[in-house]
Amino acid sequence: MYGGGYTGEPEKKQEQAQDDPALLAEFEAKIARGEKIEPRDWMPVDYRKQLIRMIEQHAHSEIIGALPEGTFITRAPGFKRKMALMAKVQDEIGHGQMLYSAAETLGKTREQMFNDLLSGKSKYSNVFNYPAVTWADVTTIGFLIDAAAIVNQVINSKGSYGPYCRALERICYEEAFHLKQGHDAFVSLASGTPYQRQLAQDSLNRWWEPIMHFFGPSDKMSVHSERLMRWKVKLASNDDMRQQFLNTYVPKVWELGLTLPDPNLKKNAETKQWEFTEPNWDTFFKVINGDGPCNKERLAVRKWAEEKGRWVRQALINPKEKYTLPYA
Amino acid sequence: MSNPEQYTAIKELLYKMADDELIIGHRNSEWTGIGPVLEEDIAFGSMAQDKVGHACNFYKLLHEMGEADPDTIAFQRDEKDFKCCHLVELPIGEFNFSLVRHFLFDHAEYLRFEMLSNSSFEPLANLAKKYKGEIKYHIFHANTWIKQLMNGSEESKARIQSSFNELLPVSFSIFEPGPYEDILIAENIFGGEKALESRWFETISAIANDNGIKLMDVSDKTAGYGGRKGFHTEYLKPMLLEMTEVLRSDPAAEW
Amino acid sequence: MTDLPEAEETVEVEHPEGWITYEVFHQKKRGTQHTHVGIVHAPNAEMAIVFAKESFARRGATTNLWVVKSEDVTALDYDDSDIFDTTPEKAYREAGFYKTRDKIEQLKENEGHE
Repeated sequence: MYGGGYTGEPEKKQEQAQDDPALLAEFEAKIARGEKIEPRDWMPVDYRKQLIRMIEQHAHSEIIGALPEGTFITRAPGFKRKMALMAKVQDEIGHGQMLYSAAETLGKTREQMFNDLLSGKSKYSNVFNYPAVTWADVTTIGFLIDAAAIVNQVINSKGSYGPYCRALERICYEEAFHLKQGHDAFVSLASGTPYQRQLAQDSLNRWWEPIMHFFGPSDKMSVHSERLMRWKVKLASNDDMRQQFLNTYVPKVWELGLTLPDPNLKKNAETKQWEFTEPNWDTFFKVINGDGPCNKERLAVRKWAEEKGRWVRQALINPKEKYTLPYA
Repeated sequence: MSNPEQYTAIKELLYKMADDELIIGHRNSEWTGIGPVLEEDIAFGSMAQDKVGHACNFYKLLHEMGEADPDTIAFQRDEKDFKCCHLVELPIGEFNFSLVRHFLFDHAEYLRFEMLSNSSFEPLANLAKKYKGEIKYHIFHANTWIKQLMNGSEESKARIQSSFNELLPVSFSIFEPGPYEDILIAENIFGGEKALESRWFETISAIANDNGIKLMDVSDKTAGYGGRKGFHTEYLKPMLLEMTEVLRSDPAAEW
Repeated sequence: MTDLPEAEETVEVEHPEGWITYEVFHQKKRGTQHTHVGIVHAPNAEMAIVFAKESFARRGATTNLWVVKSEDVTALDYDDSDIFDTTPEKAYREAGFYKTRDKIEQLKENEGHE
């Protein structure tokens, strides 16, 4: 969900051949025992590659995710909301920082990751390619999107890569505050004046499709998927995570007397599975490949930050220091 | 402290302090997501929160003294009723501009709080003491950055020097004397803007000197005055409009 | 920001040689251990401390921070973690290994018989 799933490229036979079978077996046994892989451990080429991609895109999602809500910091209504939003958005930059650091331990530098973001090569969570138009959108993001992110993060925190798990533990702790303040602000609207209630409903109507896109399309269990599961890189299917999200949070919307724009959304009493109108995945792919309402703007802001900040970073270069891989 | 004259003097002081903190906090928060370095983005945003937090607590103290509640004071006053100085109203500009403003303002804040920690008005003294550590970090941050950039590249040195040239004159607007200076000083509530200005200038001159920054001679220190009396730069009104946009969309609502 | 670049414009981040990473250690309160909490990118130790304060001490109690250049950390290889394999078995190093109570009970019983 941080960029449309994992690399679905057909397995490259030569990459597989590079993995020493004895080392691979030991690696997999370690993971099966529940042990974590640490930065300087041997790891299969594909493991490293998939993890870098996943963590990197998660990191990009955090810093891009800060932008739609960030635009409302200056407009937050009152001290309580202003301080909460400032703290939350700042946390997101902090999460980005921690995640870039975790990805960095795998050998890709922060600069390389930024370059791939700016060039469009690396993706970030699609949901942030949509605009926050009203204050209600800020609350919807803080409530439902952070909720979806938490579902994903809690699951991933049981993964196999040490630095990513450690970063996620910290992130999950902070996300709990994000969700609480988001839900609180959303409920304020739902229980407020008719105008506020309308704002909240309108926000849900506009954001429901991107939210349903959050966990990505249904992923059939391929050999590829199966291996990622065995390596505890992928820990649950997109469908499972989506079900978990719907199960916890749809009732929380309905209890406020608000609706979601899907007449087919309901929990099947027998199967206990949530049924819904299949989201439009063509839209999803169109947006994630650059053609969404805010893609250009999001990247333009990051490019601006990069260009304007270049002199600062260059001024602080200490030529005596040589970069080494961090421990994180 | 039951003397109404003293109360008026203290409130005037609190309003301008709170307004300064709110406005500069708001300005600095505009850097969120676009800072030059991730870690600095986090630091700048955190300090902005601190400032807004200070403002909120000063407004709370005002409320205890009979003024409206903080949200009302902060988000529902007219531009002419704000008492912030011109320095804090200016748009964020490039990073060197915001950084030098942060340096200039925060040193004044630190020294003001230091002076207030001995205030005969206990609630104010307590707040000043409470925030001492927080502001210590703010000036540590500012000093470290100034030192780094003045030891950096030709470009960073030029930019910092240029921002000092641009900001020094208007930073004197912090010290525009209020109508109750005499009472504040006589009652040991606060040592006064003049004393603060002189301590501030001594401090920043020393740091500037250590780092090779030239402080130009400012012939007219009053050029930036007016903010304390409600006469603001062209930048404050649009900022207040933005700040109150959501609140004004439904004044009856609780958010 | 009125001067946003066009989407098609390529903006490249240069690799700033000379920005290194520092490992950050955080102490909650006096008397407790400093624990490793993550890294910051910084050109030198002073900046690293400035950054570490906000990156890792934004919440909860903090009394102290250390920053150490990643380069200065000497770490054991995980491949050598087998040197610790038998350590948990060295029960003679643990208090619980010494079952003295049994001997005392036995002594008392014997004394009782005399």
